[in-house]
Amino acid sequence: MTLTPEWYLLLAAALFTIGAVGVLIRRNAIVLFMCVELMLNAANLALVTFSRINGTLDGQIIAFFVMVVAAAEVVVGLAIIMSIFRTRRSASVDDSNLLKY
Amino acid sequence: MNDLKLPAIDYAALAPMLILFGVACLGVLVEAAVPRARRGLVQVPLGLLGLVAALVFVIAEAGTRKRTAGEAIAIDGPALFLQGAIIVLGVVALLLIAERSLEPGGPFVAQPARPVGSEADRSQAAGEGGATEAYPLVMFALAGMLLFVAANDLLTMFVALEVFSLPLYLLCALARRRRLLSQEAALKYFLLGAYASAFFLFGIALIYGYAGAITFSRIHQAVTAGTGSGVLLFAGLALLAIGLLFKAAAAPFHVWTPDVYQGAPTPITSLMAACTKTAAFGALLRVLYVGFPGATWDFRPIIGVIAILTMLVGAVLAVTQTDMKRLLAYSSIANAGYLLVGVLAMTPEGVSSTLFYLVAYGFTVIAAFAVVTLVRDADGEATHLSRWAGLGRRSPLFAGVFTFLLLAFAGIPLTSGFTSKFAVFGAAFGGGQVWLVVAGVVTSMLLAFPYLRVVVMMWLSEPGESTPSVSVPGAFTSAALVIGVLVTLLLGVLPGPLLDLTTRAGDFVR
Amino acid sequence: MSLSAYVPIIALFALAAAFALFSVGVSQIVGPKRYNRAKLEAYECGIEPSPQPVGGGRFPIKFYLTAMLFIIFDIEIIFLYPWAVTFDALGLFGFVEMILFITTVFIAYAYVWRRGGLEWD
Repeated sequence: MTLTPEWYLLLAAALFTIGAVGVLIRRNAIVLFMCVELMLNAANLALVTFSRINGTLDGQIIAFFVMVVAAAEVVVGLAIIMSIFRTRRSASVDDSNLLKY
Repeated sequence: MNDLKLPAIDYAALAPMLILFGVACLGVLVEAAVPRARRGLVQVPLGLLGLVAALVFVIAEAGTRKRTAGEAIAIDGPALFLQGAIIVLGVVALLLIAERSLEPGGPFVAQPARPVGSEADRSQAAGEGGATEAYPLVMFALAGMLLFVAANDLLTMFVALEVFSLPLYLLCALARRRRLLSQEAALKYFLLGAYASAFFLFGIALIYGYAGAITFSRIHQAVTAGTGSGVLLFAGLALLAIGLLFKAAAAPFHVWTPDVYQGAPTPITSLMAACTKTAAFGALLRVLYVGFPGATWDFRPIIGVIAILTMLVGAVLAVTQTDMKRLLAYSSIANAGYLLVGVLAMTPEGVSSTLFYLVAYGFTVIAAFAVVTLVRDADGEATHLSRWAGLGRRSPLFAGVFTFLLLAFAGIPLTSGFTSKFAVFGAAFGGGQVWLVVAGVVTSMLLAFPYLRVVVMMWLSEPGESTPSVSVPGAFTSAALVIGVLVTLLLGVLPGPLLDLTTRAGDFVR
Repeated sequence: MSLSAYVPIIALFALAAAFALFSVGVSQIVGPKRYNRAKLEAYECGIEPSPQPVGGGRFPIKFYLTAMLFIIFDIEIIFLYPWAVTFDALGLFGFVEMILFITTVFIAYAYVWRRGGLEWD
């Protein structure tokens, strides 16, 4: 069995699904956030694979930008989560329940 | 090594965005170099000047139709119109943000890093000057929105999406009062926003796999040629749409809206309701009209159902709200539904009516949130609906203004709300989407009920002990309020000039 | 594209839904029910879901701040690699663009430095 690019696409889809489901079922804000990062990296893997399949470099360039954007997102997100944690002593999203209808 | 061919860059066409990014960077330097007490005095004029300069360049480019920077950016009618709209709405929102007279120190927390409830936090609540970082953040957000509506490939669109989202997440957490609510709103907005942009990104990957390119013209070629895998196309388009509809606050991707609108500082809420919505629909228009018109028959039923769901959710849940900011949030969700009706016409009239609606709604919603900032008691803004009972007796002027704005939301003739709803429904009718028009008219009638309930409550009940006072607005809030109300009235009575402008601006370059 | 291409997908959806319903239903009927506190807690492998024990698992916020600053400045280097590879071909234009980019990063650095983000105490 040879390792064709399609396998990488399947892996990317699997990682993306794991991340997407993880966001829905986990409760710790940091873990939620790691799941989102997993989704971004799955997208990166898909981009690089398509770049290989299509024979153009665009996908790899996009992956660079995604990494930088993801880093910026990490910093913003951690800052918000930390400021909440310092008051509440908890990063569980279930405890953030002041806003509801 | 072979020579690279560098793309031609038209700097005049990019000038509005470059100016705003430059002003934002300058703002960061001001934060670093200027003593604390004088930062606000520098930041506000700097921001306003930057916005005015950007607007001048947008107007100077009027009539341009071109793609520049290697097809990454399209400067055409809709892009320039939306950029102008975002800048003007941004100026009005910036006036609200800069207001210092309603509350000692302004609407923002002095030091966001201080834990809530600590000794230092109580002293800042008493009137320490607010964080001036808000201004560069707002400028970054506005610059990102300008780029978002002009983005002509998916990568530029994604980067712009993040550039305007990240500052907004932070701005949401900066409220001076009710800081826990504010931080919680920021957390929810951030987690759900990052989730949605991850979907958007995977959509980009799939579309790249489908079309082999990310510029909208190449995607359009691939879609019309019908080559490639349909699964990639439809899955990719669906994921892209999720990301955009999230920012536009369409159901079922709307759950963040009421929480974030309620928790965020009210001037920031007005910025999000007016400018973010404009940017999101601008990008949605470009994706659907430039990139995927070849798939109209495939996506129209699905997004049509989403539009109806959005209108229903907004209208029905607005009835049950007990908080003014949440009520306005659900109203904003319902309006996203009406905007989608205009988008789905898929005709030039659809574009121009959507553009008109965005401007009309933006001004009305900023004015409405300006009134919300005025109704306050010792604990800050009194947003609970019961507190607004009897406000008409206590302050007929502001209750009258708010009544007018609510009637505009309800779409009563002689207000901009009527003209804009008429325009989008007319466009959808012309595009053969009668089912959407029927749903729109029915939900409009439903949606009038919560507005009228507030009006009745303000005028027909007696003011009690707990009825808050209406603060006298400072110069900035007065200006924002007057502009918002005047435009709402003007677009209702004399919509001709703006309708002409949107008709002429409704043509995308491909 | 004909609709028949979707038949395997629909079949998969149906099978997955049936399996999920079957397993949940059967475990409700057949499984033993001996609940205790640990079983009722939210399942999080590795990390205590909430709230942390008092004083446990906490360390000064300075570490977070430094880590965040490191991430954001470290990742910017990524744009220098492709530029360095094609430095000759990009010529003066690329050089000016890169100077502009680095200036922007330095503006952020100036902000962090002046506002005390780099001080440990």
